[in-house]
Amino acid sequence: MVATRDANAQKLETELRRGVLVLAVLSQLRTPQYGYSLRQALAEDGMPIEEGTLYPLLRRLEEQGLLASDWRIEEGPPRRYYKLNAKGARLLDELTTNWRGLVKTMDRLLD
Amino acid sequence: MEAQELIESYVDDVARRLPRKMRNDVGLELRALLGDQLTATAAEAGREPDERMAIDLVHRFGRPDDVASRYRRRSFDLIEPADAPLFVRLATVCVGLQWAFTLPALFAGTTTVGAWWVSWGLGALAWPGALLLWFAAAAWVRRVSPADPDTGRRPWTHWIFWLPMSQDWQPAAAHRPGPREAKLQVALAALATGFFAAPDWFLGVFGADASWAQYDADFRRWLLAPLLGLMLVRLVLFAAVVADTRRRARTETVRFGLWVAFVGLLYWSAFAWTIFAAPSTDALFKAWLSLFLIVNTLQIIVWLRRAATRVRAPASFE
Repeated sequence: MVATRDANAQKLETELRRGVLVLAVLSQLRTPQYGYSLRQALAEDGMPIEEGTLYPLLRRLEEQGLLASDWRIEEGPPRRYYKLNAKGARLLDELTTNWRGLVKTMDRLLD
Repeated sequence: MEAQELIESYVDDVARRLPRKMRNDVGLELRALLGDQLTATAAEAGREPDERMAIDLVHRFGRPDDVASRYRRRSFDLIEPADAPLFVRLATVCVGLQWAFTLPALFAGTTTVGAWWVSWGLGALAWPGALLLWFAAAAWVRRVSPADPDTGRRPWTHWIFWLPMSQDWQPAAAHRPGPREAKLQVALAALATGFFAAPDWFLGVFGADASWAQYDADFRRWLLAPLLGLMLVRLVLFAAVVADTRRRARTETVRFGLWVAFVGLLYWSAFAWTIFAAPSTDALFKAWLSLFLIVNTLQIIVWLRRAATRVRAPASFE
């Protein structure tokens, strides 16, 4: 029973994190990042994301016209760098406003 | 196998499952990303990357088919999730019924296992296929013609909209049949009832030879009157509903009861009586009647199911 409750709590927490995944990723792409560096940046700020989730997400966001990408050779092997485009930046502003409103609402509800 | 080789083999397996257009690009990116990850893991461990590390990494990343599906665009549902339980139930019932009706012949020894399996046994699996096509077509229509958020209507099927059933309800004027349309419905139903009463007479009016459309004497004597009686009462109630433009719970229940009785009588007629005197007419009519009965039986099941699944407050709420 305890194990089931723990598993449920974990599942719900994952759901909660999944809801803010896109916002978290967009927030880090004001400057160009490649997949691994982005994952590191998110993890360092307390938002670890499975690599198997993050990398396909970058592709999908690009397909949705929110990111621009290009291959670069800087240090090490060629890497694909992603960055917000104008549409992505607008969406980030919009989502940030919504998020802040949501946090205030949730704070009121939880207090 | 070297760690890098293992990664490349894994990436090839993922890429193979991707659409051709994105295969190389995603493969190259994935190889670089997994390489970065492997290097970082090795640096943390303080040794060179090895096969064990690479295996752990790709296991954590996911099975190649799972990873490939994450890269693909969101796919569509062949069957709408809300329809899936009904699909499973209908497929199970159809297959079960076909087997239940045909297996007795096998047990009675009039057919062999092999002959039964290649005919009725395996043939029953056509039901899930046919139902799949039906539900997939319904899902496709919903997908390509999303409902208008304001009216709830779909562009191609704008005449289909949700209506409350079996309750005292007055539909909005826009949803009611116009007076001319209502009269036409009643007239057509009356015509069909009249035709059913004496098909040979109707055909004779047009000067056609109607001997092939004569009812069997026993059927005319014993079953025609009760069937016509039920049809006439239903017709009167139908006219009342159309004229009143209301669906009253009691009227609907009476109409349903009459409908069940009518379908029951038709089952009895189809399986225990000769309906038309001419054998070829009788066979042809019974083939059509079987289809009519299947459709009506399904409709009755749906009606009963809807009645049984109404939301009811528990006694403690009262």
